[in-house]
Amino acid sequence: MSEHRPDAILRADPRDVAAVRACLAEHGARLTVDEYARVCELLGRRPSVVELHVFDTMWSEHCSYKSSRPVLREYLPTEAPHVVLGPGEDAGIVRFARIDGRSVCLVLAHESHNHPSQVLPVEGAATGIGGIVRDVYCMGADVVGVLDPLRFGDPDGPNARRVRDIAWGVVDGIAQYGNALGVPNLGGETVFDATYDDNCLVNVVALGVVDEDGIVRSRVPDAARDEPFDVILVGKPTDASGFGGAAFASERLSEEDAVERQGAVQVPDPFLKRVLAEAGRALLAWVRAEGIPIGFKDLGAGGISCAVSEMAQAAGLGADVDLDRVPVAFDDLPPEVIACSETQERFALAVPARVSERVLAIYNEDFELPHLYTGAGAAVIGRVTREPRFVVRHRGAVVVDAHVDAITTGIVYERAAEARPRVMPTRRELAARREGTGAAVDPVADPAPSDDGPAATPEAVRVRLLEMLGSINVCSRAPLYEHYDTMVQGRAVIEPGRADAAVQVLVPGHRVGLAVGLGSCARLGAADPYAGGRWAVIEAVRNVACVGALPVAVTDCLNFGDPEDPAVFHEFRESVRGLGDACRGLRVVEGDDHGVPVVSGNVSFYNQSATGDPIAPTPVVCCAGRLDDVARARSMALAEPGASIVLLGALHDRLAGSEYERRYRARGGRDVPEADLDAETARVRLLVDAFARGHVSAAHDVADGGLLVALAEMVLAGARARSGADVDLRGALREAGATREGDGDLGAWLFSEYGGVLVEVPAPRADAFLDAARARAVECVVLGTTRAVAGLRVSLPGGAFEVDADALEAARRGALEEVLYR
Amino acid sequence: MSPPRVVVVQFPGVNCEYESLRAIEAVGLRGEIRRWNDARGAVRNAAAVFVPGGWSYQDRIRAGVVAAKDPVAEAIAEAAARGVPVLGVCNGAQVLVEAGIVPGIEPGAVEVALARNRMPGRHGYQCRWAFVRRGPARCVFTEFVDGDAVLPVPYAHAEGRFTTSDDDVARRIASGEGVAMTYVTPDGERAAGWPDNPNGSMHAVAALVNPGGNAMAIMPHPERSTWLHQVPTDIGGPWGRARARMDDPLAPGPGRALFESLRRALS
Repeated sequence: MSEHRPDAILRADPRDVAAVRACLAEHGARLTVDEYARVCELLGRRPSVVELHVFDTMWSEHCSYKSSRPVLREYLPTEAPHVVLGPGEDAGIVRFARIDGRSVCLVLAHESHNHPSQVLPVEGAATGIGGIVRDVYCMGADVVGVLDPLRFGDPDGPNARRVRDIAWGVVDGIAQYGNALGVPNLGGETVFDATYDDNCLVNVVALGVVDEDGIVRSRVPDAARDEPFDVILVGKPTDASGFGGAAFASERLSEEDAVERQGAVQVPDPFLKRVLAEAGRALLAWVRAEGIPIGFKDLGAGGISCAVSEMAQAAGLGADVDLDRVPVAFDDLPPEVIACSETQERFALAVPARVSERVLAIYNEDFELPHLYTGAGAAVIGRVTREPRFVVRHRGAVVVDAHVDAITTGIVYERAAEARPRVMPTRRELAARREGTGAAVDPVADPAPSDDGPAATPEAVRVRLLEMLGSINVCSRAPLYEHYDTMVQGRAVIEPGRADAAVQVLVPGHRVGLAVGLGSCARLGAADPYAGGRWAVIEAVRNVACVGALPVAVTDCLNFGDPEDPAVFHEFRESVRGLGDACRGLRVVEGDDHGVPVVSGNVSFYNQSATGDPIAPTPVVCCAGRLDDVARARSMALAEPGASIVLLGALHDRLAGSEYERRYRARGGRDVPEADLDAETARVRLLVDAFARGHVSAAHDVADGGLLVALAEMVLAGARARSGADVDLRGALREAGATREGDGDLGAWLFSEYGGVLVEVPAPRADAFLDAARARAVECVVLGTTRAVAGLRVSLPGGAFEVDADALEAARRGALEEVLYR
Repeated sequence: MSPPRVVVVQFPGVNCEYESLRAIEAVGLRGEIRRWNDARGAVRNAAAVFVPGGWSYQDRIRAGVVAAKDPVAEAIAEAAARGVPVLGVCNGAQVLVEAGIVPGIEPGAVEVALARNRMPGRHGYQCRWAFVRRGPARCVFTEFVDGDAVLPVPYAHAEGRFTTSDDDVARRIASGEGVAMTYVTPDGERAAGWPDNPNGSMHAVAALVNPGGNAMAIMPHPERSTWLHQVPTDIGGPWGRARARMDDPLAPGPGRALFESLRRALS
């Protein structure tokens, strides 16, 4: 076996701690001294400059999952009969439907772009989409949708200006990229909370559709053992943008970073991506028709080095890359930059050398990349080797020469975990802090100061309903998603915002539907991380069931603080445990005891405030579900007068993590809603079955803002059809054990969250539906009926109140528009 | 005899070409997507030409303007001049306007512009549903659209406001000349302001057509409301009711009428 000793070997002896520190600092590497020593051990010598950068990226938290991997392995269920590809490659794949005799698969990928978006919101958010869609394209799929769960700081807090700038920048960045790329936005969650004041969260989900026999892998094909294969790089010319991006995502963000680290943020170009997607499509059509084996991989973190070494390693082969053949944007880029920069809009291909010329022609001539963008195009940059070594050359010298296993082996840390209970501050506490009176308050131990008092009368409940509807976390999301293209590609069945999940036809011209919904509950998770993880899954699964779809798979994005802090790591581990238990426990397929598998995901650590406080634990779950016929899907809009309004669930007054608590209570509590996975399974099965039978004409889960908000939202969604609701909650309150009129806070029962699912059942179906619910032992209570008056009437102990649809709409219309558009 | 061929021109950066093709095929016409650098011959022989929406050439300089200078735009202009039906939707409409094909009072002259949306309290790109009705001008794409029908169609643009600085052109449009479709209220009255008029377009114009009645530039997307499943459940009116009762998601949607008109014109 030949081994070249690369040029520019570093001098730092791994035993000389001071020298190693100096060397790492000189090269801007984030590796620890111990990790440097481990690199030396793996290579059997000190690394070269380029090798140092390769390991620096590969061993970043972002790429290596060095803190999270043992926890993910332990708790998350990733297997089920329909899983084609679980976590590990660029995206997960599940078998989804048979259409015209073909097995059509769904591709799911989830990513975070938190730190880049905090520093450069437009570019950070845009490249978040740009990166995640590449992960889906490179599986050979068409990208059919993206979702973007977002978290911003308090828009009225001490950082209000910056928070609002970031919120608009992120939304605009998502719009600029997704709209131009022609991928519909299928939803998101936008939550504002002081915990994100210095660290916004920008998560992105991408969904793709591919025939099972058309899946392309991110690895060199086995055929490369028998014939010569080239490595081809396509896309934007390589520049220095995004150099060190993965490391940037894996460290704490500080004030000076805001300027200094802008270079680590990549530069988005959706136009180029759109042309690349079309060229890729032409390429795939051709290789599929000709039966030519190829490997196709997105260039993300670590750029050329990571992509090419991983493709080769996955096949037990090697690669020899010449950086002088890489199209570059500027002369004299250092080799470590060419090898590791995260320049956007690039892919790597491994193709038989005999077809390289034709592959280059598709990109360079048919789609004229070099004419559309200076320096863009496709070029052969190296070849696959049988010897499993990764060799990189630059100007005639070898700058990397290592066994592929050494580069991709990775490292793992066993992090310490220790509970440090906390709850998120309420509005009142934050206000007190701002006034300087709350500095010494211990949110856990101190007795609660007085709160806003109970809502004891129907009139007080009415006032709070309108206030809740106007809350920034509850109000209309239309100003946000109307800035996104939600319909491009023409697959839309239920657009985002009109139901708990968006629905599209999977394949145009066919009835099979794809539903996608999200779930997360950070404030609740702060009070109880295990419950937070469970509820995130339950909510995502419920959302999908609320349009009538059968939950098929989930993908997660886990946003936490510094994993080296045992309290944060405890939150992380507990959240993941809760998430895993819920996925396993929701056995939604009748007669099948596997739960809902996690097929892909992402972990983002080091999210914290300027003073070092970790963000609330924020696991975000996206669930995909299937409808056999989209004609059976229903939105949350009340559809017809005289129908029954049924709550599948029960009232409760557990407020921990709720918007009502944040708004009206002096202190946050720990009374999280109870989650019963068996009851939830029965509820989901009932819903899926009832939709298929046409027994449900609208559904909406009781989530942000609670029961009354959910009812108001159903009324508003149906207002154009002049549908309203008349509900009598006295029985349900009595049943639940709520205090008698005049005592205590009715609001706690009416605005508590996760209490179940509201459904509208047409009168002729009511008996059959209620029988089915009883047969499955699903708790249910008939709350009232729909009527042909666009408004909401609520009977409570002590009287009734009524609000018309215009007043409800006026209450929830303006808040987000004001924050986003100023 | 094979059915007539409609060429969908794929400029670099467009993103509605596939749904546009499906809308054409939905009425039984044969369609074909041709790359910009491989489309000239096909356009010369086409029965009709569809310039779809998206971001042609990244909207460099101004939406539609670079594509309007592309050699294939010349072939499209020639086709329009020969009376071949030419449809530009969204970015395609911007291309037809920038190429001087629409309104085409003096062919080749840029007579109107598609300016930035004007909306109270918001700015930039918006994607929502609007209602349109046939305008007074004769047009091959609206010929068989019921004059009273109120059609829900989605729009998705940042620059969709028809405007002009030419007094003569303004006077003609005010009189209804070249007005193929207008934005209306859900009840069919001409839109007076936002949100019925989504972008502040002059005289609530949604689509303009050339004097020959064969080349139309329309900002909202009829191809995106070609199937019933694409219509929102809560849109109200007859289409909302049809959608609420939907049994066949693949039944025609409101935008199908424009492609039916084209089919009838070609057969």
